Amino acid sequence: MSMLLEVSGVTVTFDGFRAINNLSINFAEPELRAIIGPNGAGKTTFMDIVTGKTKPDKGRVIWGEKNMSLLGMSESQIAMEGIGRKFQKPTVFEDQTVRQNLAMALKNPRGAFAVLMHKKTAANGARIEAIAEEIGLLGELRRSAGELSHGQKQWLEIGMLLAQEPRLLLVDEPAAGMTTEEREKTTDILRRAAETRAVVVVEHDMEFVRRLACKVTVLHEGSVLAEGSLDHVTSNPDVIEVYLGRANA
Amino acid sequence: MKNTFIAQNPSVLWFLAALGLFTFGVTMLSEVTGVGVISTSFVKTLGKTLCLCLIAIAMDVVWGYCGILSLGHFAFFGIGGYAVGMWLMYARTEGIVLESLTSQTIPPTPQEITDAIGNQIFGVVGSAEFPMIWAFADSLFLQLLMVVLVPGLLALVFGWLAFRSRVTGVYLSILTQAMTLALSLYLFQNDSGLRGNNGLSGLQNIPGFKATPQATISIIFFIASAAALALGYVFFAWVVSGKMGSVVKGIRDNEARVRFLGYHVESYKLFIFTITAIVSGIAGALYYPQAGIINPGEIAPIASIYLAVWVAIGGRGRLYGAVIGAAFVSLMSSWFTGGGAPSIPLGFYTVEWTDWWLVLLGFSFVTVTLFFPKGIGGLFDYLVRKPS
Repeated sequence: MSMLLEVSGVTVTFDGFRAINNLSINFAEPELRAIIGPNGAGKTTFMDIVTGKTKPDKGRVIWGEKNMSLLGMSESQIAMEGIGRKFQKPTVFEDQTVRQNLAMALKNPRGAFAVLMHKKTAANGARIEAIAEEIGLLGELRRSAGELSHGQKQWLEIGMLLAQEPRLLLVDEPAAGMTTEEREKTTDILRRAAETRAVVVVEHDMEFVRRLACKVTVLHEGSVLAEGSLDHVTSNPDVIEVYLGRANA
Repeated sequence: MKNTFIAQNPSVLWFLAALGLFTFGVTMLSEVTGVGVISTSFVKTLGKTLCLCLIAIAMDVVWGYCGILSLGHFAFFGIGGYAVGMWLMYARTEGIVLESLTSQTIPPTPQEITDAIGNQIFGVVGSAEFPMIWAFADSLFLQLLMVVLVPGLLALVFGWLAFRSRVTGVYLSILTQAMTLALSLYLFQNDSGLRGNNGLSGLQNIPGFKATPQATISIIFFIASAAALALGYVFFAWVVSGKMGSVVKGIRDNEARVRFLGYHVESYKLFIFTITAIVSGIAGALYYPQAGIINPGEIAPIASIYLAVWVAIGGRGRLYGAVIGAAFVSLMSSWFTGGGAPSIPLGFYTVEWTDWWLVLLGFSFVTVTLFFPKGIGGLFDYLVRKPS
């Protein structure tokens, strides 16, 4: 397994608060990884750094075989390099249909002129339908995204990520607000996606992480506290201290 | 492609049909055919209204579809008007000067002719020199090129600076308003080279068509304005349909999300801002020969604010809404402020609409924004049920 993304020695400070503190973390391709940690552990900030939204004070973020640095690249450039991101709140374009949402995300030239001259093709249509089937929204393609249920919106957003054909998928709390049944389906989608690419799931919910059955990284105060299988990290005394200890202290 | 585009946007055909019928009807009833039910001055009002509809759809694309509340599009409109006005004024003055000089025994030198034209045009601001910006005023072709190039380049440079710095929302609105105000204040100066607050006048006299009655000229401009509106409508309907429309509406609704999808949001905004500025310039170039006069007051920020009000009342995010809003509100405005509306005597106070029209307009704007966010155009949703 070759390393797809290497984050090393990254530090970010917001007004004196160290959101990320000398964080080093690596991802292989393919891989399914869960990142857990208490509130304020720096999970979202970590995603912001990788996707170019936040610039770190220190450290390196190296991507792909060519060892390209992601620092200094814009959000859209990073997205074009193959990093897709799903936000915590489902953010789909509610005014537009499911098909339009997926079509916009589909991997195609992103330049304004190419988009202006874009024509619908059967090949693109087939790709959209394949993705819609994968996320279970094949029957909803003509519906406006705003009419979908919360869970369906989350899947649509995951579908939009898949349509981008990213090599690394960053997924922020995909199971939030979902029913048990919806969670199971989400787990299936993510596990299938991780067969060919790196999928990183940030999640609060331990039950959901257990169902993913993958390597887990525990973040705490902006750096890695423990890494390994879920059983391994949950038996780690430091992790127990962080998650449960505060109440006792 | 044409087929699918029209097929997916049946409202375009409806609009074109209605506009065609309207144009034909007005032409038939005008003084040109001898019917004369519609006076020449009202034909001009209608022609100007069509130009306002054209800038309104441009505003709708930039604001209603792309979410950029520009308060500067009337500046582009004014620039278009000035560009064409410079040629109109130069060519007409040249004609007058040449005519008056033919009586002289010695033929005038080209320098004398230029001086005489300069004197005629700039005498009012105490100058006779042609400023640099009038270098191409003798060429209709080059000035028409300016109608497109100057607003386009200004929008390109301004937009590039603003969007690159990620200025959005109300800050961008303020910035565009500042641009308009600066331009207007600059043009008010006598040494701006465009005759200060006198502006350019006599634009209704088209050089070379001295013998043509205004009735004919007005109907030609009316039809030209209708054609420009039709072309602009089809062009913008095409731009905002399909994938470009998806991306542009996506930028309006969630800019960050579009960015993470890999689209370079700034380029898209710049594209929309620039093409709408160019169309605004074209609308202005057709408007001012019908108005006859352009002065810096036309570019004042208030004009661009009205533009936003028209689009909001007509209904943002649908092109025909912008057309309805601009036509309805601007015609109402000229009716109320032109003394058409009867005053309301209340005994202790008489409501004069020339004073109270703005209050009524402001009240309508607030009402529409609060209770009918889809505007007048939204009424069509009740008539037409969308196929699902």
